[in-house]
Amino acid sequence: MSSRDQTDEKLERLVTRVLRDQPLRRAPASLETRVLGELAARARQPWWRRGIATWPGSVRVPVIAICAVSVPAVWILTLWLAAHLVAATRSRMAGPLATIRDAGHTVSALGTLSTHIIQSIPREWLLGGFIATATLYATLFALVAFGYSLLFPRPEYSKVHLT
Amino acid sequence: MRAYQDMVFSTAVRLTANPAQAEDISQEVFLRAYESFDNLRSSSKAGGWLKTVATNLTLNHLTRHRKRWRLFSEVFSDDTREEEIDSAAGVFDTVFTELESDERRARVEQALERLPDHQRVPLVLYHYEEMPYQDIADRLGISLAKVKTDILRGRVAMAALLAQGGLVASDDRRRNSSAPRGANP
Repeated sequence: MSSRDQTDEKLERLVTRVLRDQPLRRAPASLETRVLGELAARARQPWWRRGIATWPGSVRVPVIAICAVSVPAVWILTLWLAAHLVAATRSRMAGPLATIRDAGHTVSALGTLSTHIIQSIPREWLLGGFIATATLYATLFALVAFGYSLLFPRPEYSKVHLT
Repeated sequence: MRAYQDMVFSTAVRLTANPAQAEDISQEVFLRAYESFDNLRSSSKAGGWLKTVATNLTLNHLTRHRKRWRLFSEVFSDDTREEEIDSAAGVFDTVFTELESDERRARVEQALERLPDHQRVPLVLYHYEEMPYQDIADRLGISLAKVKTDILRGRVAMAALLAQGGLVASDDRRRNSSAPRGANP
């Protein structure tokens, strides 16, 4: 075991001894009052504002049954409505859809043009641009890290003199 | 509740270093305990259950505010020197052997409260909650190396805080009283 490891272990042992010897912190006197007050406030709430687990059985069972039935019902209704809406929209939107299709062709042509332009740029330029971007990014990161170390400095250990 | 309220509050306040937040968390712990009252009433593990819930709720509370310091605190490596660690060990030894228990309690609490979150939280989890390094790393979502570095730095920083305002004098006094008369001018 190195000298550094022994020093670390010694410090750990001494810190453990000091901290484990600490008595518990006394809870504020208001804590018990607050907890009891909150429990009383909850007890005063009507049953339907509490969790479903605490509802009376005569209410809980029908509610669960209604929920169980309503999930597939809502699903079927949604599918039926969607099918009708799609059919109605398709007939009304034929014109606008053609416009959107034309716009898509234009965007596709612009993309092809951009690809040709990028391919015509020399590789050295692209590499230079990449290096410049990476350098700027690293510089910015270093600046922020330096700012962080200024804002949150470590304690001055050099002020501790024991020997 | 009276039997456990100091333990729950201590767990929360040591992690948060904020008595008001610790009281809010303690209240939430006891409200959850009330919901599980039937199970806990007859259980011999009620104390452990309360401590676990208190620790988890406190860590959840701290996690909400922790993201902003985590990234950049990961950048710096451990550069603590051996003499700093040795000096810190001397402080803790002096604190334990020289100070009266009341003064020691007050100083340790104060020093712990003044540590930054990223040093205090792993330090408390390791020394008070007896969590292994790997569990702390998993729970806080940081690397094992960072946990070890933060705990070590926390110990050294805590020693520096404990030494502020009097320990040096106390240590000098002990040395002077054991030295032969007239040895020093």
